[in-house]
Formats: sequence, C-alpha cells, structure tokens
Amino acid sequence: MWLPLLFLIIGVTLGILTDIRIPDAYSDYLSIAVLAAFDTLLGGIRAQLEKNFDDTVFLTGFFFNITLAAVLAFIGVQLGVDLYLAAVFAFGVRLFRNLAMIRRMVIDQKLLTKFRKK
Amino acid sequence: MKRSTQWLVAIVFLVIGFMVAVQFQTTSHEAQVRETRDVWEVREELKRQQEQQQELLDKIAIADQTIEDYDRSSSRDQLETLKESIESLENKIGLREKEGKGLEMTIRPIFDEEAIGQEYPKISPHLLSRLLNELNTYGAEDVSIGNERFTTLSPIRDVNGATYVNNRPIGSLPMSIKVLANDAEKLQDYMEASPIQDIFNIDNMEIIFERKEQLVLPKFDEPLHLETLEEAGG
Repeated sequence: MWLPLLFLIIGVTLGILTDIRIPDAYSDYLSIAVLAAFDTLLGGIRAQLEKNFDDTVFLTGFFFNITLAAVLAFIGVQLGVDLYLAAVFAFGVRLFRNLAMIRRMVIDQKLLTKFRKK
Repeated sequence: MKRSTQWLVAIVFLVIGFMVAVQFQTTSHEAQVRETRDVWEVREELKRQQEQQQELLDKIAIADQTIEDYDRSSSRDQLETLKESIESLENKIGLREKEGKGLEMTIRPIFDEEAIGQEYPKISPHLLSRLLNELNTYGAEDVSIGNERFTTLSPIRDVNGATYVNNRPIGSLPMSIKVLANDAEKLQDYMEASPIQDIFNIDNMEIIFERKEQLVLPKFDEPLHLETLEEAGG
C-alpha cells in the first residue's frame, strides 16, 4: 500500500520541481488525461476488490483511456465541437459509478464481518 | 497482490502524480500577469511618474499661493487677485491676444503649368483637423488659423463646401497658420519630417515654414457657450 503512495508523492514533487507549464491550447488535453488516469485508477481498485484485477487490463486501460481521451479532444478541436466534454462526461460518470461500487463493497465487507461476529 | 503488480500500480501513480502537479501549476499560474519591462523601461516609467508628480506639486503650489493671496489681503487686493486669476485663465483658453515666439506656416497652392483646367485647391476640414492634431502632438501651445484663434471650443466645419473655423469661413489660399511653441525649432523639424506635407501635396498644396521671434495671435472673440460643461468637483 505504501509503494503507490510513495510514488504518488514522488510524482507530484517531480511535477512541481520541474516547473513545467502546459500552453493554454493543450491544457484541455492534460485535464482530460488526468481525468482518464483517475478513472483507470478507481477501476483498478474496484477490480482489486472484486478480485478480478489483471495487470494487462489495468495497464492497457490506463494508456488506452488517456489516448482515446486525447484523440477525442483533438478531433473536437479540429471539428470545432467541444468533444472533449463527451470524454469528461463519460469519465465523470464512470468515476462516480466505480466509487459507488467501491463504497458498497467496503461497507458490505464490514457489515458481513460484523454479522459473522454476531 | 503480486510484486510486479504493485510496481505497476506504483508507476501509474507516479504518472498520475506528475500530471496532476503539472495541471495544478498550469492553472495556478494563469492569472499572473508577467512583468516584461526591463530596467530601462521601469526607470523611464519612474521618471515619467516623478515628472508628473513634480508638475502636480507645482500646480498645487500655485493654487496655494492664490488662496494665500485671497486670505491675506484686503478686499481691494482680493479684487486684484481675482482679476489676475481671470486674466491668467483667459490667457490660457485664448480669450486674449497672445504674443511669443513660434512658427508661421503658410499654406500655398501648387500650380502645375502643364495641367489645364486644374481646380484651385482648398483646404478641407479633415485636412485642417489632421494638421492641427499633428501640431498639438509635436508641442504647439497656441494656434491661430488665418485670423481665427483656435481654442478648445473652436469648431472646424464644412459649410456648403467651404471650411469654417469658429463659425467663419477661413477664406481661400494662401493662408497662414500661426503657432506658438516653446521650442519652435523642434516643432518645425517635426513638422517638416511628418507625412502631413505629402498629404497636402496630394491636394496640390504646400506648407512653408517660417520661424519667428515675435508672433501675435488674435483673441477668440466669440461668446463662450459652456452649456455642456460642468463644474469640476473639488
């Protein structure tokens, strides 16, 4: 558990220390990539709790989601339609659903253990 | 969880952390307006501000002096002070004749001997306005056009094809424009180098400059219509 946290901290520190700033034109891409990353992360946690976690699925999901989001945003810019909003919406919905499932599973596990104790 | 999986998740976390940090930096630095002036520009700005401050202080000193005169003196002296104030104000807005050194500009027609049926050139209101703008840009203080003193209230208008200043026609060319300026030489240099010459040449006119030590500008003799002006606060 400590390893991902440590790496998260390292990543944030790196990002702040390198002082990189994305030009305005590309900030949409980055925001959507961050969203996709969160989505994949929560999906991974859910899969872990459901006990069907798979490295390959996780890794490909991570990169595929980010790429798809970026492509969608790019096409949107080319067509003059805010297509990246579609990605934001999709990822947002999935984020909430994954979170809800995780919550339920955690609660279920706790309740179950309580019942068993009784 | 397998060891390799843990590392994988950790690396994904690293990437996420990095992206979040970059995103955070991008959004948090947007609002700042960058200071792009170099030292010299800042110094110039500072100098400008100091000059402005000095100017304001001078004005305050003069106003204070006037107030003091009113306070101190008897009613007769007060009357004198009032008259002085009025005189200086009238001088300022052009209600009195004014003498000084400056530039006399004569606008003359250019005639091409070959051209037959050439129209006698006349100065249009636009052209005149442009000329006055240039003069004011380059430091003219008081201007008279022909026999008309040009003040802040002077209109330049087109009335049935003739150009009117102060509601009177300026007459035909040649015409003289008298300009008082602190530094008449500089004004002349500026005017000779400015594109206004070419614009006049297009309309078959030329401007001849003559620097004079003694110029007399007529006074503005129309009644002042100040309906749209309001008393300044303070």
